[in-house]
Amino acid sequence: MNLSDYLLSGLGIYGLPLLFAALLVGSVGIPLPASFLLLAAGSFVAQDDLSLWPVLGLSAAGAILGDNIGYALGRWGGRRMFTSLSRLFGGMNRVNQTENWLKRWEGAGIFFSRWLITPLGPIVNITSGLNHYSWPRFLLYCVTGEALWVLLYVSLGKLFSGQVQAMSEFFGDLTWVIAGLLVALVLGWSLFKSFRSPPMRLKSKT
Amino acid sequence: MRKLGRREWILLLFFLVTLAFTGLFAARAFRRAVYWRQHRDETIRPWMSVGYVSHSYRVPPPVLYQAIGVEPTPHDRRPLRKIAAQQNRSVDTLISELQLAIIEFRRSHPPPPGPPLPKGGAAP
Repeated sequence: MNLSDYLLSGLGIYGLPLLFAALLVGSVGIPLPASFLLLAAGSFVAQDDLSLWPVLGLSAAGAILGDNIGYALGRWGGRRMFTSLSRLFGGMNRVNQTENWLKRWEGAGIFFSRWLITPLGPIVNITSGLNHYSWPRFLLYCVTGEALWVLLYVSLGKLFSGQVQAMSEFFGDLTWVIAGLLVALVLGWSLFKSFRSPPMRLKSKT
Repeated sequence: MRKLGRREWILLLFFLVTLAFTGLFAARAFRRAVYWRQHRDETIRPWMSVGYVSHSYRVPPPVLYQAIGVEPTPHDRRPLRKIAAQQNRSVDTLISELQLAIIEFRRSHPPPPGPPLPKGGAAP
């Protein structure tokens, strides 16, 4: 019995309240197999053991609430801790560079980390809060992204209702492949830029 | 210069580690997809309900309920783990009883005649 087994058993026993709570906690940042739960919920819907609309509504509500808790933690709780941590990673200059990069890409980052690269979701929530990214905008991307995620996974679970386990394993790996490719792209690009920039300029900056 | 060199080394290291990590997951996803296409039946896990197992293995629910000695009830979402606990026995015993019932059912209900299957190809 692993964590997924316990959570999915809980879905069978407690139903919707467990789905809501697990998605909320998962969106804040506790690593839970949330996509697997959505697929399983979709399968229960296909077998008429759960109703579609409450599943969609409560899942999305849990995830959106969790995202906003993450945002609030970043916005009101994290700046001082972040500043002291940032010294470990090359000082405020580097952090500011990252923040500028994030500010430019934040909208897309929020949207895509809701449904395509879900492991990045909690980090994006906290950095959005830290950057004081506009809350109404955060909420907009958050609601659209989470609605898409919930709809996508519940529908997939409903469609392949007899192969939830296999689906979850496959999509779990696929998500990490996408996340890995994205990180590799960013690292590769920084490496490329760092090779191309003249060393004197960089030296004078430090 | 020294500092720049170290930074590049670290970036390169992270880049290669990320690529290796991505490659491993891509290979695993590919292997899973291939396996999935060949074996449509899922391994029975303690979280699954009898209804789910019956749906996944295309075996009528009453057959499975009878095999584990449970009265069939509509919309029964209880996971096998809970049924086993209520029956005071291990979930592994329950799962092996379900597996036996599925094998038995498939033996007595062969798929309708279609294109001939290779010998022994229909076994789960």
